[in-house]
Amino acid sequence: MRIQFWGVRGSIPAPGPETNRYGGNTSCVSVRSVAGDLIIIDMGTGLMHLGNSLLTTEFGKGHGKATILLSHAHWDHIQGLGFFAPVFIPGNHFVLRGQGKSSSMLEGILEGQMDPNFSPLYTLKNLGASFDVRAVVPGEPFMAGGMRVTARSNPHGSSTALAFRLEEDGRSFVYASDAGYPDSGPSPEVLALYRGAHVLLHDTTYIPADQATRRNRGFSSYEQAADAAIAAGAGRLVTFHYDQDYTDTDVDALRDACRAYLDDHGGQHIDLIAAAEGMQLEV
Amino acid sequence: MKVKFWGVRGSIPVPGESTNRYGGNTSCVEIRPRGGWPIIIDAGTGIRRLGKSLMEGAFGDGHGTAHVLISHTHWDHIQGMPFFSPLYRRGNKLHVFARQQADTHLQAVFASQTEDPYFPVPLVALEAEIQFHELVEGSQFVIDQTVVSCTRLNHPWVAMAYRLDCDGASVVYCSDTAPFTDILLEHEFISKPPTPGAAMPTSMADKLAAMRAGLVALCRGTDLLIYDTQFTVDEYRQRPHWGHSTPEDALIIAREAGARSLCLYHHAPMRTDEAQDAILLATRWTAKQAGDPFEVIAAFEGLELTLGDDQ
Repeated sequence: MRIQFWGVRGSIPAPGPETNRYGGNTSCVSVRSVAGDLIIIDMGTGLMHLGNSLLTTEFGKGHGKATILLSHAHWDHIQGLGFFAPVFIPGNHFVLRGQGKSSSMLEGILEGQMDPNFSPLYTLKNLGASFDVRAVVPGEPFMAGGMRVTARSNPHGSSTALAFRLEEDGRSFVYASDAGYPDSGPSPEVLALYRGAHVLLHDTTYIPADQATRRNRGFSSYEQAADAAIAAGAGRLVTFHYDQDYTDTDVDALRDACRAYLDDHGGQHIDLIAAAEGMQLEV
Repeated sequence: MKVKFWGVRGSIPVPGESTNRYGGNTSCVEIRPRGGWPIIIDAGTGIRRLGKSLMEGAFGDGHGTAHVLISHTHWDHIQGMPFFSPLYRRGNKLHVFARQQADTHLQAVFASQTEDPYFPVPLVALEAEIQFHELVEGSQFVIDQTVVSCTRLNHPWVAMAYRLDCDGASVVYCSDTAPFTDILLEHEFISKPPTPGAAMPTSMADKLAAMRAGLVALCRGTDLLIYDTQFTVDEYRQRPHWGHSTPEDALIIAREAGARSLCLYHHAPMRTDEAQDAILLATRWTAKQAGDPFEVIAAFEGLELTLGDDQ
């Protein structure tokens, strides 16, 4: 499978020359299966640019199908939906899976974004594409785009966010953004989800000094990410969801410090990559 | 007074190299009367950096007061509010003004922006004191030494233009609006452009004419007219039902109202810096050909203008 990063920033888009290299768009990652099927993970502002790139494919003709996995409904993970060009083309179809007590409640959350006070779109039903919105049951695998997907719930401040594991032909990719673990670290179920992942994309919103003063926000520093990668025996760790105030130089430093931390804690063999907009990764 | 632009983009923030010069943050303008508290128009993502700069002064000690005039509550005009640092400091005061449809209170609209599951910090948990003030079009009120007037614009749901008079000068903020020719947007959802050449009902034409007259009156003789010019003429023809204008529309209003300068604003998200340069040059050329006496500029992040006797 092939991964591409369209938005790697947390909380709010951060435009400006100081974020040009890593990018200022909020969370969005695409995964293409070997057969070419598309899974999109999270719908931050990066989704607009993914959508524009899809217009030259079957999505431009209204024959596109994709699965969207939604970690949670905080703004920085859904704010790109109304600007995702393929949703305005009748015939395209999206299966959206995320957390919710029921599928109708999840759909209601997406509808809330398009409330007429906030958006001229009014409702999902005004988009040309069709949507099949389904709540995910954590721990129960399902098939999407020819890939086997399993979700588990992580604590995220006063709320929760889903982590996803995607598997195809014995290769595995885990997406774990917005994870705020207790001092004891990830739960056994979550660690099992991460176990042996070829690529573990993990929330590294903060450096430890910033995380220490903002524990209640429910994000990881690179230390929790590195600890999780080491405990799970991941092959490669990808840093992701950088704080909106971090410049490219700050993210360089975060990556270097994460590398040093891995080396000092038994993770010398783990490859480390700092996610940047536009970057592609073969799993 | 000083006018400073913190976000000039429409629809959605657009980080990246192609927007470095004009900036990728959504709508936010700070008006600073001489010796007074800031009056902020719109709370797009640009308000995040404004908030940081305010925290270096009285707002950092919890002694600040700000007035925020919201043109309308579409995301690109309010999405920065939860990231406005002064809200998280006890003692600061914020007054939020907007026109609201009759069926929902303004406070409820802002409360739902940060409710679970959309944002982790609800409105009631903010440290600052926030008061909401609902406006009707045509109302006039005073903020310290500044007189604020407003009128309704042609945009889906509702949007207001504001005029601020103080320090012997004035500025008008007119975003977002469609021209007052092809379609009346009001509050219904419109999925398609109107049929070309279709006759407009008289009642609609009358409402549009009244709306336009209200805007021209608001802009009369203003020192600076900030205007939604998101579309090119071709883009407008494709999407007249989206509620945005072209530089040509802005020139006509500025000319008729005798504005002393025109500022292009609310740039389209996919407009590169080079494309925006070209639009500015073309608009200046059109104004020159027409013999317009006013200056035309294009807003960019960080642009600061001084108006009136605040020298």
